[in-house]
Amino acid sequence: MNTPDTSRENPLVSIRGLSKAYAAHTVLREIDLDVHEGEVVALLGSSGSGKTTLLRCVNLLEKPDRGRIEISGQAIFNQSAGGDDKAGIKQKQVNTLRSRVGMVFQHFNLFPHMTVLGNVMEGPRIVLKEDGAINRKRAMEYLEKVGMADFADRMPHRLSGGQKQRVSIARALNMRPEVMLFDEPTSALDPELVGEVLSTMITLAKEGMTMLVVTHELGFALEVADRVVFLDQGTIEAEGPPADVLLHPTNERVQSFVNRFHATAELMRPLLQD
Amino acid sequence: MFDWSIITQNADLILKGLWITLYYTVVTTVLGLAMGLLVALAQLTRITAISWAGRLFVEFFRNVPLLVWLLWSYYALPIFLDINISKQLAGIMALSLYGAGYYAEILRAGIQTLDAGQTDAARALGMSTGQAMRRIILPQAFRRMIPPLAGQTIIQMKNTTLLSVLTVPDLLYQAGYIASFTYRPMEVYTAIGVVFLIILIPSNYLARKLETHNR
Repeated sequence: MNTPDTSRENPLVSIRGLSKAYAAHTVLREIDLDVHEGEVVALLGSSGSGKTTLLRCVNLLEKPDRGRIEISGQAIFNQSAGGDDKAGIKQKQVNTLRSRVGMVFQHFNLFPHMTVLGNVMEGPRIVLKEDGAINRKRAMEYLEKVGMADFADRMPHRLSGGQKQRVSIARALNMRPEVMLFDEPTSALDPELVGEVLSTMITLAKEGMTMLVVTHELGFALEVADRVVFLDQGTIEAEGPPADVLLHPTNERVQSFVNRFHATAELMRPLLQD
Repeated sequence: MFDWSIITQNADLILKGLWITLYYTVVTTVLGLAMGLLVALAQLTRITAISWAGRLFVEFFRNVPLLVWLLWSYYALPIFLDINISKQLAGIMALSLYGAGYYAEILRAGIQTLDAGQTDAARALGMSTGQAMRRIILPQAFRRMIPPLAGQTIIQMKNTTLLSVLTVPDLLYQAGYIASFTYRPMEVYTAIGVVFLIILIPSNYLARKLETHNR
């Protein structure tokens, strides 16, 4: 979408040597990843490849075992191998960091006991202690942006999946984050609802929002992402411009991953011709 | 065969007993809930010593018979500590702690079974643990815990009858007293049972109603 300035010295998100294991099972091995301002990076990989864990490590919803994570040059996780030092990073700093990183979940995770507007206003109200009127006005603007302003007074359980996901995007945006994390934002949606969420995300990308997106939507990765990162068994197997990585895969694992999508398309072809 | 005039003649004593029963129900429910919440949160912390203390509390009160605990609190505890405890204070303390053990389990389960995604969403916005609890987790947990909490509170009310062994003049104690000078235990105890049914059947009905309402 945008032309990311990859020559910049200071990436918005910088990850170095990130590793994570659950008991004996290693999920992430020595991951290095930079996301620059205005860049849209798609994280691809089959299930169990570690892409969701990596995303959740960025705002420390998942605690890595070791490595270093910086947001806008500020270290929020720093633990060398075997060491017990956390560079004195306090929970309060982690909370502040999280308030600057927006997150959208696969299952929306809207707060069911609050209205749509209440959901969108909650973060600035509680975390930023923001004035109600200003908060409300901006919350309505974001709801407008995602096309949900008419539903401001509804309770979440009365919305479709696509509507819920658009509200959850507005909820994250209302914190005015520096970067947005998306964790398979369309995977829990009925196929006919995927489009409305993707189009909201495309709007954001066009406006220059920095986005890190875990997705199975190869089309989105190909068309919208500036860069794709392909994970397999906890390591980055391939990384680069979407067309290079996905259309002309040189890596064997990427090839078989992409082929599986082609295979599904092939399987469906005769069905579609009827 | 039934002589109901016994009841009407002693209505003032029964009313006084009812008042005492309701008073102890309300006070021990409020205190029990507050302590139960603390114990539930204690069990959910990552600090092992505190969570174990919470667990121990629950195990103790779920496994000691209430009557034994009540009598111990009034007759044994003052000797242990070499202090004087009034029967009212002993009763309130013993019933509240006992209720807290049960409330704690209901609250802990309600908090734990809440979708982890709710905590994730709250934390992702930058909320502290306390803010997430107060704004996101507890309001939802309480809502879905209303039916079991109501059920436990009904049990709590019935348990107040045990206070009569400490000579706290609750409904049951008054019944015994009236029976002792009228020699009509049949009418008196029947009436007391009916009073409980009149209060608790609608309460149970309301609790069930809340349950379906919250689905």
